[in-house]
Amino acid sequence: MTTAVDPRFHLAWFKSFTPHDWRGPWAGPEDREWMNGDSHVDFLQALERARFDFLMLEDSLMVSDTYAGTAEASLAQGGYAPKGDPALLASMLLSETTRIGVIATMSSTFVPPWLLARTSATIDHLSGGRFGWNCVTSSENRAAQNFGMDALPPHDERYERAAEYVDLVKQLWDSWEDGALVMDEETNTYVDHTKVRPIHFEGRWHRSRGPLNLMRPPQGHPVICQAGGSPAGKAFAAANADVLLALPKGLADMKRYRDDIRELAVEAGRDPDDIKVMFIVSPILADTDEEARELQALMNANAEAKIKAQMVNWSATMEIDFSRFDLDEPLPDDASTNGHQSTLSTFRKFAAGRTLREAFTAYRTESIEVVGSPATAADVLQEAMEFVGGDGFLIMGGTTNRRYVHEITDGLVPELQRRGLVRTEYAGAHLRDHLREF
Amino acid sequence: MSADMFHLGWFGSFIPTTWTTGWDGTDAARWMDGKFYVDKVRTLERACFDFILFEDSSMVSDVYGGSSEATLKRGGWAPKGDPVALAPILARATERIGISVTMSTSFYPPWMLARSVATLDHMSRGRIGWNIVTSSEDLAAKNFGMDALPPHDERYARADEFVDLVTQLWDSWDADALVMDRERGVYVDHTKVRPIDFVGKYYKSRGPLNTLRPPQGRPVLTQAGGSPAGRQFASRYADMVMALPKGVPAMKEYRDDIRMRVAAEGRDPDRTKVMFVVSPILGETHQHALDRKAAKDEAVRQHPEGQLIGWSGSMEIDFSRFDLDKPLPDDVQTNGHQSTLANFRKWANGRTLREACVAYRTESMELIGTPDEVAAQMDEAMQEVGGDGFLIWNQPHNRRYIGEIADGLVPALQKRGLMRTGYGHEHFRDNLLEF
Repeated sequence: MTTAVDPRFHLAWFKSFTPHDWRGPWAGPEDREWMNGDSHVDFLQALERARFDFLMLEDSLMVSDTYAGTAEASLAQGGYAPKGDPALLASMLLSETTRIGVIATMSSTFVPPWLLARTSATIDHLSGGRFGWNCVTSSENRAAQNFGMDALPPHDERYERAAEYVDLVKQLWDSWEDGALVMDEETNTYVDHTKVRPIHFEGRWHRSRGPLNLMRPPQGHPVICQAGGSPAGKAFAAANADVLLALPKGLADMKRYRDDIRELAVEAGRDPDDIKVMFIVSPILADTDEEARELQALMNANAEAKIKAQMVNWSATMEIDFSRFDLDEPLPDDASTNGHQSTLSTFRKFAAGRTLREAFTAYRTESIEVVGSPATAADVLQEAMEFVGGDGFLIMGGTTNRRYVHEITDGLVPELQRRGLVRTEYAGAHLRDHLREF
Repeated sequence: MSADMFHLGWFGSFIPTTWTTGWDGTDAARWMDGKFYVDKVRTLERACFDFILFEDSSMVSDVYGGSSEATLKRGGWAPKGDPVALAPILARATERIGISVTMSTSFYPPWMLARSVATLDHMSRGRIGWNIVTSSEDLAAKNFGMDALPPHDERYARADEFVDLVTQLWDSWDADALVMDRERGVYVDHTKVRPIDFVGKYYKSRGPLNTLRPPQGRPVLTQAGGSPAGRQFASRYADMVMALPKGVPAMKEYRDDIRMRVAAEGRDPDRTKVMFVVSPILGETHQHALDRKAAKDEAVRQHPEGQLIGWSGSMEIDFSRFDLDKPLPDDVQTNGHQSTLANFRKWANGRTLREACVAYRTESMELIGTPDEVAAQMDEAMQEVGGDGFLIWNQPHNRRYIGEIADGLVPALQKRGLMRTGYGHEHFRDNLLEF
């Protein structure tokens, strides 16, 4: 295979259907109507111009009030809520582009499987095979309470349910064979019924008779994406995912993580090259390395604000009230969570006994630090991929604005393209084609 | 003397276009790319329709002949795309026309529905409607892990609570919650976002929603209710009721009944529009239109299966078992659709099944003639009924027919001052309530 010699890696972006940067010096004019989708259309078109594989749209289903027992900090900050339905945004964005993929998050704990199978099949058709589903099990009791439950099922049970759920959804997609739509004028037959079958799925947690009421999606199965760091999450991903979002810290852990996943994939009977591991980075770019370092220092200058922002976010996702902790002590040993377990353990490892203040000041949501001129940033990414072995990076801009997006798409990407490290043209039509191109 | 201005909507599904009429183009092979629907909704906006409404269903029916063969062969109940996923694309392609999508209270989690509809309302800048259905097919329920649907009246009791909950979720954010105070670093004022702690008989939800209040506050609610429970439900919530009473006197009676019920609920009856389903048959001359109708009838007489498949699916009775040239046997029973079956018998009134298929129309009144003649017929009906407009049910589903309505019938209506020539407002509800 060419994968051994092809030096190219994949690029994608991680975002939610939330406002872009609204406070920074490059936030642009006030946009109170961001939910109309306009700015996200511009954003995705920029990514397509830069030949990204995909945009991944995260989601959550609640307004968090864990931090200090009120929604005040979470809502003041924005970012967690308000947030729009990402599957609907995906449909709109895909209709304004022709090659790039969009992956939308939908929860296996809350969305009825038949509905999810149909919505994603529909969007895959509408986009000509460029849709993906980011399968999450959800991690917040607050979300469960919006859906009439008192609390979420325990962490590992959620993955058992999810495995059954994915199996069911795939069977629904497969309930129509390719070629079921025959349009035979002589026999006056639109669909050949022998190619459409009920599935009679009876699982431990889910039931569905089937078939779906729609043709098989262009990709067969829309791309399945997952972010699993815990043992249960990794096993699930290795068995089911086409692409993985990962946040191990540092090159050694990145390599270990990817090797693990590939090994688990082989154990699950899959070709490990069919699973792409994408590592989260948040590059800080400038004309010179020195200027980029200054920007980084400027971002960390308001340490109090930075610490609080991080704590508010983690209070939401982990449902641990970080406002209770003494910032001048390490994270208490008994702090635990029913969600985002790997994030918490990665943070513990990263903190390594430092106080919360020190650890939060140093912490960023990224696998490796990428700070410098486009050339320096390209060096860092290139070296990382040479060491780890693949498969690419997921840009997470923190707060995105047009200037930052263009620094990536019009500064960093051309530099990577000159080095032959990322694609300059799309080769395939489907999202899965992009992922498997190299 | 003519009627007051009335409303036009379009009623259809996200389904294949015609492919055997001779006027089919190439859409039947590609309809799932959405482009036919983008063109369609733009055409309807050019013609100043109030809205397009998408019905939906969640199954491949296999009642007729005990197999899905006939239904799939004709593309009857399936394939059908998710109209909710299509709506963002249609919203982006248009500026003023309303878009109403069907979502079932029996299958959607309420919080999810509230968020999806709110998102669509934002994406369309206030032009989304939710067409509320409770679903009526056990086959669909089985796709969602149930053995059967709850009984008819319980479905409405559930729907009642469901709509109450969804409305409270939309109201859980005040309209001015988004403050964007850059200096204080406050994006949303948390005092304007509240949990709802809803605990009903059938549903629970803590809330609040996690998204901004929809531009319309409450997106437009549309509904089709024929039964007493359905009418009562509609009178409590609906901005638009889609109706199928047969003939002008029944139309008038239906509208008067809805208005009376709306008033009894303490609402202004002018704020619930009753719109009647029709499928005009147009021609260059009156005779052309009559010829077309005769040809349509003859086609159904030769091939009545299309209609029988539809009835089989909706009543869950296998119509393939019966002699086409006799009336429906007296001993036929159904589990869940007694009133539908009873209404059918009453309407069929001794007709053979074949002739029943020919006579059956998904329309409140027959409209046949030149565009100007049909405009006059609609005028007369509205004068008699009092309002509020018509829903065109696309038959046949192709560009030619859409063009006949948009570029033939609509200008004739506009010339008579019966239909708008522009939109007065940005939001769906405001346009619906404009007259």
